Parts: sequence; structure tokens; C-alpha cells
Amino acid sequence: MTDHALMSWLPPLAPAAPAWLATLQAAARAQVQTQIAAPDAEAWRYTSLNHLLEQGFVPIDETITALQPDDLDEVLIAGLDSRRVVFVNGRYAPELSATEALPPGVHLDSLRELLAHDPDAVRALLPAESATLPLFMALNVAGLDDGLVLRLDRAAILAQPLELIHLSIGLDQPSVAQPHHLIVLGDGAQATLVERYVSLGAAVYCTNAVIEIQLGRDAVLTHERLQTESKNAFHLSGLSLRQGANSRYQSVNLGLGSRWSRTELLTEFCAAHAECDLRGLYLAGDEQRIDYHLDVNHAVPNCTSRETFKGIIYGKGRAVFDGRVVVAKDAQKSDAAMSNQNLLLSPQAEIDTKPQLEINADDVKCSHGTTVGQIEPEKLFYLRSRGISAALARRMLCLGFADEIIHTLHSETLREHLSEQVGQRLESAPWD
Amino acid sequence: MLVVNGLRATVGEKEILQGLNLTVNPGEIHAIMGPNGSGKSTLAHVLSGRDGYTVTGGSATFAGQDLLALEPEQRAHLGLFLAFQYPVELPGVNNTYFLKAALNSIRKARGEAELDAVSFLRFIKEKLKILHLDESLLKRAVNAGFSGGEKKRNEIFQMALLEPKLAILDETDSGLDIDALRVVADGVNALRSPERSMIVVTHYQRLLDYIQPDFVHVLAKGQIIRSGGKELALELETTGYGWIDAEGLAA
Amino acid sequence: MTSTTAVNDLVKSEYEHGFTTEIASDTFPPGLDETVVRAISQRKGEPEFMTAWRLKAYRHWLTMTEPNWAAIDYPKIDFQAISYFSAPKRPEDAPKSLDEIDPILLETYQKLGIPLEEQKVLAGIAVDAVFDSVSVATTFRKSLAEVGVIFCSISEAVHDYPDLIQKYLGSVVPYTDNFYAGLNAAVFSDGTFVYVPKGVRCPMELSTYFRINARNTGQFERTLIVAEAGAYVSYLEGCTAPQRDENQLHAAVVELIVLDDAEVKYSTVQNWYPGDAQGKGGIYNFVTKRGDCRGARAKISWTQVETGSAITWKYPSCLLRGEGSVGEFYSVAVTKGRQQADTGTKMIHIGKNTRSTIVSKGISAGEGQQTYRGLVRIGQRAEGARNHTQCDSLLIGDRCTANTVPYIEVRTPTANMEHEATTSKISDDQLFYCRSRGLTEEDAVSMIVNGFCKEVFNELPMEFAVEAQKLLSISLEGAVG
Repeated sequence: MTDHALMSWLPPLAPAAPAWLATLQAAARAQVQTQIAAPDAEAWRYTSLNHLLEQGFVPIDETITALQPDDLDEVLIAGLDSRRVVFVNGRYAPELSATEALPPGVHLDSLRELLAHDPDAVRALLPAESATLPLFMALNVAGLDDGLVLRLDRAAILAQPLELIHLSIGLDQPSVAQPHHLIVLGDGAQATLVERYVSLGAAVYCTNAVIEIQLGRDAVLTHERLQTESKNAFHLSGLSLRQGANSRYQSVNLGLGSRWSRTELLTEFCAAHAECDLRGLYLAGDEQRIDYHLDVNHAVPNCTSRETFKGIIYGKGRAVFDGRVVVAKDAQKSDAAMSNQNLLLSPQAEIDTKPQLEINADDVKCSHGTTVGQIEPEKLFYLRSRGISAALARRMLCLGFADEIIHTLHSETLREHLSEQVGQRLESAPWD
Repeated sequence: MLVVNGLRATVGEKEILQGLNLTVNPGEIHAIMGPNGSGKSTLAHVLSGRDGYTVTGGSATFAGQDLLALEPEQRAHLGLFLAFQYPVELPGVNNTYFLKAALNSIRKARGEAELDAVSFLRFIKEKLKILHLDESLLKRAVNAGFSGGEKKRNEIFQMALLEPKLAILDETDSGLDIDALRVVADGVNALRSPERSMIVVTHYQRLLDYIQPDFVHVLAKGQIIRSGGKELALELETTGYGWIDAEGLAA
Repeated sequence: MTSTTAVNDLVKSEYEHGFTTEIASDTFPPGLDETVVRAISQRKGEPEFMTAWRLKAYRHWLTMTEPNWAAIDYPKIDFQAISYFSAPKRPEDAPKSLDEIDPILLETYQKLGIPLEEQKVLAGIAVDAVFDSVSVATTFRKSLAEVGVIFCSISEAVHDYPDLIQKYLGSVVPYTDNFYAGLNAAVFSDGTFVYVPKGVRCPMELSTYFRINARNTGQFERTLIVAEAGAYVSYLEGCTAPQRDENQLHAAVVELIVLDDAEVKYSTVQNWYPGDAQGKGGIYNFVTKRGDCRGARAKISWTQVETGSAITWKYPSCLLRGEGSVGEFYSVAVTKGRQQADTGTKMIHIGKNTRSTIVSKGISAGEGQQTYRGLVRIGQRAEGARNHTQCDSLLIGDRCTANTVPYIEVRTPTANMEHEATTSKISDDQLFYCRSRGLTEEDAVSMIVNGFCKEVFNELPMEFAVEAQKLLSISLEGAVG
């Protein structure tokens, strides 16, 4: 079992690791082994791991220092007003980051450094015992290395968005990076986080990121996750969100890039009157596999969640949407609405969607709606009757479909940038 | 400008147009009237190239070209415009973006320079005034969440913008109250010119109180069975369409 | 293997008596092996092909495992503790009078307006003069025979129409399909066979025309319906009265074969004993129902009202093979007390322009646990396929559960699929409104729930619909508050 391809993703345990961390990692490792031995067939019903495992990814214990700030130019979004933290192949790159003059009460650290200098601070942020995690999130914890630690004290406000850039460059050997980020907002704190996944070059590599977020009472986090990696990239990311009373979490998840990707979003309401809004847009073009899993837990009463995901699948693209809303016993007055709409544009495109509700309380308002369809001929004709070519009309209609998600991004610059990205990808989409 | 000769078209097994003849010269306004199911909308759709109809005979020539051989956008490039009876909602598609794409596609096809953002905006604002439309319209998605009246006005606004040679107004009056009808008709009248022809398809005479036609045709059972001046419309208002069956039998 | 010896003895003694003699007390000892399978086949006097088929099924079943993916929880079934052949009970073992019967059950019969004599039969009481069901059946069959419709028990069909049986039995639900279907093929007791020839519209609803007719078909029922090109038949199964049954495990199989332009409408009311308040003694109902639209424009419509059983595991499905074929599934399922139901449908779109509609209404009350589980698969060749799914759950009380687990797999860009699901409770406003107009709370609930289920009841044949509504109201009594 130890020679399973996934076990080789794990670096040897750091000898200097504090005992509590070693215990946590050993527990995560045990979870990985259990799940490899008895895979969760339902969780992997529509996605095969073979392609990922064949790549023989290994962790590389190396901090890339050769990059200069201008190497970033091609990945930065012109005009986006932000501070930024850059991770290169999973390691913090201070020379590429720009985090000057943080407002009072905002603390930003590298996990690796914080572990070295103040391990107890990290311990306070991690869950006391490791919960049962999906396979790759457990694998990430078992291989904990570096990541961003962002802490906002009570009532602290990070008005300017923080860009968290995962920059990946290919190495001689196909490598896997497993950054682990911890974001903690104290009571009443507010922040906007733009999490980006980008590639330099087109090498084959894998990112397996985890981001853990805790929101205090009344905290507000806007979280935009933009995955635009190269078509050779393998992408895994897991979000674990815990929300305090009356907190608000709004996220936009855009999955446009990578050859093979899987995203797990696990959210839990820990106290009443919290709101969680998860939006997503995925584009699966030629040979792309894109896989979203949502697990939204209404563990306590009086919380509201919205899950709105849209997909455009073309060429030989394949997408999976597996969304689950669970309302716990006694979580009365829960309000959840999940929607998943898909445009299937070509004969070899595939979509598998599984929107689930698990309701254990009666005074709830829960719904889900799913559609799979294509561009409506009436709309196409309307545009063509106004002189617009069929190809442009299709693209316009796809962009219109995507706009419901894109327009919720916090900045005009981002909205334009992403519309353009979607438009470009659709331009090369085969329509038949 | 438009010559339709013996046009026959079917939907599925059913023949809707059964040898229709119609000639429209520059600057003329033709009203096509007729009972429900007579083929009025089919004619509008076949001329503008909508899917779902099979042309089984006859011809339609527009600006010297075989209209029926062209794609819908090519017809638009030539200067044909259809104001839809039920304008389609395009959620998420911004109106300005849509209008600019349409206008520039047509300009490009005509060998004219595409308008840049600034001149386009100036142009578009000018046209808004004609229709007494609010600028906020430009920021909205095409027809999405529009009221019935707003949709019809938006159709006429597009017509103003795209400056067609021939506009087909498919039951533009349907679903409009009298005030909205007046606004739409004013817009249409503002766009009348010696070079621009129009075909006004309608069930009721009242639209023709506001848009005075040069010719009125009665369409029944897929053919034009009577043609005349605008007095024919008034006659229909009093007689209704009941006489058609009797006459149809006699013919 | 003492049980084997016992069965062998039994088979031997059986042999002495010949096949035609009915022995009232004829019940096999518990246990299952090849000898038992052979014995069942012999006991029913089946031709060799059936014995061989049952044995193949049995051998395959041994390699299968019980499915565990459904959201149901029950103690492990000991398949060796079950008797696989039992003739009707001996009169002397049955309760002697209605006084010995669970008064709650009797109350339900009265509410449903079931005549006293029938009540006795339903409750399993030995009655001297059983209804004259034979003569009813005979008249019935005669008029069917006039138009060429075959309607008989599957045991009779095996003897009388072996060609049809060989051609169709197991052709939609092969014994390899799932654990319970495998078991059923090996040991099925009896069931119904319907054959509607080309172009014939069956002149009447084929039903368990007598409430009690469905009794004693045993725990492993098997139904086969074949509609030839252009044929039509509406089949009603089950009965609204709660039926007691000594057998806890029921594993039925229903197969429908529908050819060009033919239509089969299959309606079910399932009201097996759900067990007592603690859920003890209820029926485990593991059913495989599947229809195959083999012909162009073939149509299958499943309608079910599921109020009974402790556990229901059931997914009436449609294979939409023929071009333009249509599948429909309308379901009302009620779980209350400790009932658990994992039910839904599968619509497999294979042919071009195939259409399917799913309307599922789940009502969960008390500590009931209910899951809608459905699959809509639109294959690459199913151009222009359409599906519409509406899946609503109504919760009554804060200890029940309602899950919705749809699987949607689409492989063609010309398909259109829409799925909607809602979960809600009866609102206090609705209740108050009704009560302020003078309705009792129970009547108000019953009215609102019936409204919630209207779409499904509309699909039932008239008489059945009326009974189903009454049944629903009775099922929900005491569920509020």
C-alpha cells in the first residue's frame, strides 16, 4: 500500500516537526491509506484517477528563486488593484510578493516560517483533531509544507483585495506542490481574497492546494478563485470553510484551465444567521476534465446558502458537478437553493451532474434545479437576423450564459479580464 | 426592391404559403393583413431566414439577390430587418455589446469602416432620442426582463440603428396598449424615407391609423387574395375576415 | 446439511403424491440451495428450460452481494432462515376471528369501507366460503380471450405459452441484474403474465380486480407484460387495504416489453404492513421493475403510490430504445413511523427523440426516512432527447428525513434535461387559512397533502385514484402535532 503512486506525493516527515504536527500528519496519512485501500466509489463515480496517477508526480523540496518580478508580468492582470502574495510551486516567494503597509490588525505569514518560529500560533489555527477529509485534502495535510497564513484581528479590515497567486513552472520531473493556506477572520473582520492558479510555460505538473477558512461572528469574506492554468496542468483544490454567527462568505469559482481538475468545497455553518454564497463557472474544452464537489452543511438553524454553478462543455470536454446540501436535524429555518446549468455544445462533450439534498429538519426551504441544454435556436436566429455571424452569435450567447457568474466578481477589471478569457477559449471551440 | 414570386413554404407536412406574390418598391409601405393562421408570420420568417420552414417553390429576390439562398445574417447585411413579434430575451448579453456587434457586422459586410467605441456611443445616443428611450437601456441585457412595450420599442430602436432598406414589422402592435402603440408608431414614422420600404404585418387595422400604408394586402390560406389602398384596411375593419371563407370557396 | 436432506425427503414424498395433488400444509423448511431451487421448479411442474434457468440464476446469485448504497438501514437478512416455498396457510393455524386481529388494522379497513367478509380474508382469517373469485376470473378471461389478450398466472403461462415465456422472461431484467432480481429468478413463486397482441387495445383495466386476488402470490412475485405493436394495456397492481403477510422479505420482479406504437400503463398501490410503532414486523420490499420500449414510439407509464412496507427499495425504470419512445414515472411515497423508502426511477435514453417525465412526490412524517434516487442517462445516440424531472418532498414533523439524489448523465448536445427539486413543510399560513375556514388540522393536512400529490393521482385510473386519496389521508392520520 505504501508504494501506491499517491504515497509518493508525500515528502519524508520533517524531523524537527513538533509532536502535535507529526501526530496530525500521521493521522492524515492513515486516512489516505484507508481511502486508497477502500476508495469512496460514490465520490469517484465519474472521475478516474488513472490519468493523474500515471504521471508519477513527486514532491520537490526546492524553493525556486530564479524568478524576477518582471517574470510575473504575463500573469498579472493589468489594472487590478491588489496586494499580492505569490507562491511558486507551493513555496512562498517574498521577492515576487507585494504586501507593503498592511492595515493594522492584519497579519500575513508564510506557514513554513511561522511553523519554524512560532509553531504554537499555527497549532492554534489548525483543528485540534483531524476530521475525516476527502482523499486529496487528507493527502495535502499529510504532506504539509508551506502556505499562506492570513489572520485578521477583531474588526480589522483589509479593504484592498489580496491576490493569492499560485504560480507553477515545470521542473525536469513532473512535480506536485501541496500548499496549505489558513485564513482566519476575527469577529467583524472583512477581506477580499482573489485566489489565482496560473502557469508559466506548459509543462506537466500538479497542484494540490487546500485552503482552510474560519470566519468569526459578523465577519465578511469575498473569495474569488480563478483557475486558468495551462492545458497540461493537473489541478486539485479543496476548501474547508467554517462560518461563525452572522458571517457572510461569498465566493466565485472559475475553472477555465488545466487538463484534469477536481475541486472540493466543504462548508459548514457553526452558528446561526450566517450566509454562504457559492458561485461557479466551468469551461471544459477539448480533452479537459473538470470536476466540482460541493458539500454544504447546514449544521445549525437559521442559515442561508446559495449554490449557483454553470458549465460550458465543448469539444471532448467532460465536466462533473456533484453538489450536496445537508440540513442537520434541528437545523430549522435553513434556506438553501442549489442550481446547476450546463450548456453542452458538441457531440463528444459529456456532463454528469448530481445535485443532492439531504434534509433532516422540517421547517426548511430547500431546492435545487439542474438543466442541460444547448444554445436556443431562437436566440441564435435573433442575433443572426441582426447581421451577426453564427460563430460570433454563439460566442455572445455563451458569454451571456457565463455572465451571471462573471458579473459577480468584485472588480470591473476582473470581470473584463475573465470575460475575455472565456471568450478566447470559446473562439477556438469547435462547434460541431 | 423585393420581389416575391409564387412562394410556397411548408412547416412539417403542412403547406402554409401556397404561391404568394408580392412586390415592394423603394419607399413603399405595404400592410399585410389576414386572419390568424393565414401565413402572415410565416411569410415574415421565411423572408428573414428562420429555421423550421421548407421553401417548396417560388422565389424571393431582394436587392437583386436570391434572398432564399442566404443565411439570416447575410440578409441582414443586405438591409433586411425583422422586428419580431416576440423579441427574444438574451440574459447576460449586454445591449450595447449586442448593438455594436450587429452594427459593425453589417458595416463590415457593406465595406464600411467599423465604428469605434466613441463614435458608436454618439450614434447610439442620437437614435435613443428618436424613440424617447432612456440611456439605462444600454446597460441592460437584451430584452431580458423588459415589459412587452419595452421590447417592441427596443425592436424599433434596433431598426433605427441598423438603418435597413426593408423592415418587416411582424405584429408589432400585438400586446401593446394604445399609448405604447403610439410611441412605437411614432418611431416607425420617424424612420420613413424614400429609400426605406416596410412590410407591416398585422391582424388589426388600428396600427394602420398610425402607420399609413401605401398598399394593403389580404393574406388568406397562404396567398394574397386581395390588394388595395389603405381604404381596404378600413373595409376589413367593418367586414372582418368572415367573408374570406365564402370567397375562398367561390375562387 | 440437514435442510437439504429434509427438502430431499419432501421432494421424494412429493413425487409419490404426484404434481397435481395440492397439499395444504406444503411448506419447505427454511434454507436455500440447488435442491430447493429444483424442488420449487418440480413442485410447480415446470418444463426443463425453466428449471435450468432458475438454476443458472441461483448459481449466479451466489456470486452476488447485497446492495448497500441505498439510504436504508435494516438488520442483515439471513437468506437461509427463509422458507422458499409455502402454500397457503392451514386453516387451523390462522386466526379464528376478527377478535384476534390488531384492532388498528381493523379500524383502517373500516375507514376504507372494506366489507366484513373481505376484511377477514385480508387479515388472514380462515373463512368457510371464500369469494367466488374463480367464476369472476372466468368471466373476465373470456372477454379478454375474445380479443386475444392473454391474462393468467405466470405459472400457467409457463405451461401454456412456453414460447412466449422463453422469448421474454428475463429479457428486460436478467437474473444477473441485481442481487434481489437474481434471487427472484431462482425462487419466484408466482405472478402475472399479460400478452396483448398486435393492434389490440385491451378492453378493460387489468387489475387485481378483487382486493384479495393479489394474496398468496408469495413473496417472490414475478410479472411479465408484453404489448405487441400498436397494443395498449393498463395494469393495476396491489391493493389499498393494508395487507398482513407472514413473509417479511418480498423481492418481486416486473418486466414490461413494449413494441412499436404500443403503450403499457402500470399503476401500483403498495400498502404492505409497515410494522408496528417501533417498526417491528414490517415488510421489506425489494422490487425490480423495468420496462423496455423496444419499438418506435412505444410508451411506458409507471404510476406508484407507496404507503406501506417497513423498507421500500424500488426504482421502476424505462429503457427508451425505440425512436421517439416515451417513459413516464409518477410517484407518491409516504414514510411515517419508522418506515424507510429509497425509491425513484431510471430513464435510459438510447433512441433518438426519446422523451421522459419524472414526477416524484415524497411525504415524510414521524421518523420516516425517504430518499428519491433517480438516474437520467442520455446516451450519445439519443439525439433530441428530452427529460423533465420534478421532485418534491414534504416534511411533516422535525424527526423525519428527505433526501434527493438524482444522477444526471448527458452525452449529446441536442438533448434537453431539466430537473427541479424542492423540500418544504406545510406552512403554518396554509394550515391556519384552512382552519379558519372550519377545517380540522387533520383535514387541512390531508387536503394540502392531496393537493401536493394531485399530479400523480391524476395519472391513476379513476377508481384507484379515489382510493389512493383516501388511503393517503388515513396514512397521515396522527402524523401531525
